[in-house]
Amino acid sequence: MPLETEARAQVRALIADLKPNDGDLLQALHRIQHEYGYISREAMEVVAEQLGLYAAEVYGATTFYSEFRLEPPPAVTVRWCGGPACLVRNGRGIRDAILATLGLQELGEQTADGRVGTWLGQCNGTCELAPMMWLEEHGHWDEARVVGHLTAARAVRMARALRDGASVDEVTRG
Amino acid sequence: MVTITLNGRKVETQPGRPLLEVIKEQGIAITNLCYIDGLEPYAGCRTCIVEIEGARPTPLQVACATRVADNMVVQTDTPAVKRQRQAVMSMIMANHPDRCLTCHRRVHCMPGDICLRDDVVTHRCLTCSKNYRCELQTSCEMIDMGEFEEPWVGESRSYYEAPPPDPDRGNPFLEFDPQMCIICTRCVRACDQLRHTGAIALSGKGHTTMIAFGTGGPIHESSCDFCGACIDVCPTATLMEKPNKWVGRADDWTNSTCNSCAVGCTLSYGLAEGRPVIVRPDRINPLSRDQICVRGRFGYDAVGERERLSRHLVRSGERLLPASFEDAVRRAAQAIAAVRRSDGPGAVAVLGSPLATNEEAYLLRRLARDVIQTPHLDFSHGPVHRAVTDAWRAAFRTERLPAELTTIEQAQTIVVIGGDLEESHQIVSLRIKDAVLKRRARLVLISSRWGELVPLAKPWIQPRPGHEAQAAQALADALAGGEPGAVANVVPERMAAAAEALRAGRAAEGPFAVVFAPSAVGAAAAGEQARAAANLAIAARGQAAAQHLHYLPSDANVHGIADMGISPAEGGRSFPEIVEAARAGQIKALVVHDDNPLLNAPGTAAIRAALEAVDALIVIDSLRSTTADLATVVLAELPFFAKDGTITTADRRILRQRPAGRAQRDERDGVAVLTALANALGDVMTYGGAGDVMREVAERVPGYATHEAIAQAPGATRALGPAPTAADRQPLAAAAPATAGDGLVLVTGRSLFTSWDGASIRSEEADKLHREEAVLINPRDASDLGVRMGDEVVLAAGGAEVRAVARLDDGVGPGWVYLPHYFAGGAPMSLFALDGAAATVRVRALQRA
Ligand code: SF4
Ligand code: SF4
Ligand code: SF4
Ligand code: SF4
Ligand code: FES
Ligand code: FES
Repeated sequence: MPLETEARAQVRALIADLKPNDGDLLQALHRIQHEYGYISREAMEVVAEQLGLYAAEVYGATTFYSEFRLEPPPAVTVRWCGGPACLVRNGRGIRDAILATLGLQELGEQTADGRVGTWLGQCNGTCELAPMMWLEEHGHWDEARVVGHLTAARAVRMARALRDGASVDEVTRG
Repeated sequence: MVTITLNGRKVETQPGRPLLEVIKEQGIAITNLCYIDGLEPYAGCRTCIVEIEGARPTPLQVACATRVADNMVVQTDTPAVKRQRQAVMSMIMANHPDRCLTCHRRVHCMPGDICLRDDVVTHRCLTCSKNYRCELQTSCEMIDMGEFEEPWVGESRSYYEAPPPDPDRGNPFLEFDPQMCIICTRCVRACDQLRHTGAIALSGKGHTTMIAFGTGGPIHESSCDFCGACIDVCPTATLMEKPNKWVGRADDWTNSTCNSCAVGCTLSYGLAEGRPVIVRPDRINPLSRDQICVRGRFGYDAVGERERLSRHLVRSGERLLPASFEDAVRRAAQAIAAVRRSDGPGAVAVLGSPLATNEEAYLLRRLARDVIQTPHLDFSHGPVHRAVTDAWRAAFRTERLPAELTTIEQAQTIVVIGGDLEESHQIVSLRIKDAVLKRRARLVLISSRWGELVPLAKPWIQPRPGHEAQAAQALADALAGGEPGAVANVVPERMAAAAEALRAGRAAEGPFAVVFAPSAVGAAAAGEQARAAANLAIAARGQAAAQHLHYLPSDANVHGIADMGISPAEGGRSFPEIVEAARAGQIKALVVHDDNPLLNAPGTAAIRAALEAVDALIVIDSLRSTTADLATVVLAELPFFAKDGTITTADRRILRQRPAGRAQRDERDGVAVLTALANALGDVMTYGGAGDVMREVAERVPGYATHEAIAQAPGATRALGPAPTAADRQPLAAAAPATAGDGLVLVTGRSLFTSWDGASIRSEEADKLHREEAVLINPRDASDLGVRMGDEVVLAAGGAEVRAVARLDDGVGPGWVYLPHYFAGGAPMSLFALDGAAATVRVRALQRA
């Protein structure tokens, strides 16, 4: 029988009001990701117990939605917009420049020290700012900083600064 | 009945059946890569396309999701059908890395050839572990995939261009090579719907969809219990048994019976060069049908061939030296005869084993009673079994309960009294899950520790160990009227909820299953629980109680050997008495057949002293067990899977064991060994084999039949006697026995993965997963004792000590600990006294994790 650890009890408290009903699964996953920034294996097991599902089913659902993370997020996430307006304005070049600066292969990866990571974003309708990205600090998802009218050079400068330890505030100031 | 026209032939069948099953029954070959017989269709692979006249919107329909209707006209082999199947198959093949299936040159290729044509080959049937036994391969052949174009060549997402995902080879049972997977989801549905385990799910989406275990980690970290149901249904080489993966292409099949627990699942052994290399369930068994557990599937491989005895051994000073069969038998007979001459036949005792066949047990009884003429005959679990059957006889006037385990699936109410059935008797546990999950049966579970049935139980009654009988009796009393009495460690609301459920169950029609699985340790407790279980069944079903009371003995053939007479005769000593008498010098020769009391029975120190004290210890076994190490003579016997004979299962079905495998060197069939030993002692037994013995058994033991008669109705012959003539409530002791001393109560039980064979020789690999090598301690006790997760601790009782790693677990209550019976070759048995009475242990931390 799995031992009720402190960490599990916290997750359980977070979703205590949800019931065995598939409709509550996404709600549970959202709450956990919002709280921890990702969905740990342990959290999936607690969700499964709470909602009367198999852990594997919870994993299947979690991996179906690309927005859910399975690993702890980096301190700063560079969310690159993959929408059409950004793409026609050299979005791909900007993406490749950011990845190369951070030494990463593809979106979704993060630097080995966990400082900076990348993520695929979706067009949110502010296409007049294209090409753009969002900078998000761990734990402050609601305060994502929008950086619009990007150039590859500016993206590289920001990525380099973030990599070297600057905060989102610092790189977006001025 | 409806009539359909199938390829021009009229076929009669039940309406509403899946068309695919009807087609297959008619012997018509049809590809169907995602269907599992008997389950809801998934209709995902589309390879079962057929042409149905007049069907809308197109005559091309999938047969698995079509229900037969009157006057349906179906064609399975038109050119359009074939073309469609080829087209869908080509989509499936796009993510399957084999080119042999489509290469026009494949007939010229030989295993080991390097493929000169296809530089993009990442895998080939010719080098695949499933070659020539692969459903995907056969399916491609059936529809001539070689003549179809290959639209996926150059497709960047296929494994021809992209690197394949990593295989999981991290556990000893199940290999997972996802590059072979065609996402038919059969494994997902088998694990969910056939096993209710749900260890597998589809992960990701689109072309990154993959099969994943648990929360995406290695298989052994998921809830998978390695039953292998997914292996059985996988149409590719994705899920394979690890043992003998590359040689598992059987050239012959033998059906036989598992002897790793009393359920008695029917197994089909696949043989290659005379050795078992693969096991499949065999559907002729009405209880196990298409399911078995990890012990049945991999038991034949529990210990290596080299660890089995292939030669007979004779003691010479400190050492056991190889000897010819004739010499070894002569030495054994001389040693027994010498004791008989000097001290009389009463100085000889004989121990049998529930791992033996009925035929062997019958011969062992004859050897003891007719040849040696001693009344001292028993087996190490004998006292527990007799405590239970005494209770049955008192209540029902017969120990042969007529209840059939197959009725559990129809029960609306099920009460389980035992440990963790999932570990001890898995296929019965599975049928209980079927009843709860498919037919909404109500399960009331009385068990002092957590098991997989706990989440299904409403409610789980977790009494303090030793109070199980009180809990069952309280429910029986509640059925008779009134409220259930108090039970240690159980809150009254739970008892009330259980009583409520049972009252409703009694009022309903149909089977009311009381399933009782006593621990192998502790005769007094087992007897008490049996009386309470009988009382509960009687309270629920009155005179018909015995029809609803299921007794699951701790080992495979307990019923059979008891029926054959392996129990003390008039004036004979029981197992613990034999041990005491041997220590006191009254018993001087001991014959042990297939038993290892040092592993099986409580009181290790006393047993060891007895084995060392006797002048002659004759051991007949397939392993050099810890008991055999002390022997005067060891007669090497064939392992269980190579034995011929019968065993009698928990619900008294007489099932055949057929030899799957042959001798490595000089080891013999048990019947041959026992016959030779009897004859060397002056008898004239002339049995040619198990069949001859069984003919005699059929004449002398009521309820038994010859091999030929059993073969007439496989799985249906039951060793029953006259029907029960009473249903009398049995009195229980006023209170649960107090546990002596302070400390924590020790609970043991049969664990799932640890093999008897491995434990018997104290193999490090007895638990190949190393999952069951820990003592479970409640977190509250652990913090009182200053023990943390992973610490090494010592359990001490009665002068014995056992070291184990501590695992903190909420599944045991405060005040008791659980250590598996087979841990470290049965080490927990040293913490009990010879009578198996409840033991308390002192626990102290030894080393920090
Ligand atoms: S899984 Fe079957 S079809 Fe695929 S390579 Fe192996 S034998 Fe061939
Ligand atoms: S072996 Fe059994 S439990 Fe494990 S994944 Fe396969 S079907 Fe499920
Ligand atoms: S592992 Fe086998 S059974 Fe499971 S989806 Fe893949 S091919 Fe089908
Ligand atoms: S349930 Fe028992 S008889 Fe069936 S396979 Fe498992 S150990 Fe063997
Ligand atoms: S496309 Fe990037 S914001 Fe709309
Ligand atoms: S078997 Fe019918 S669609 Fe797969």
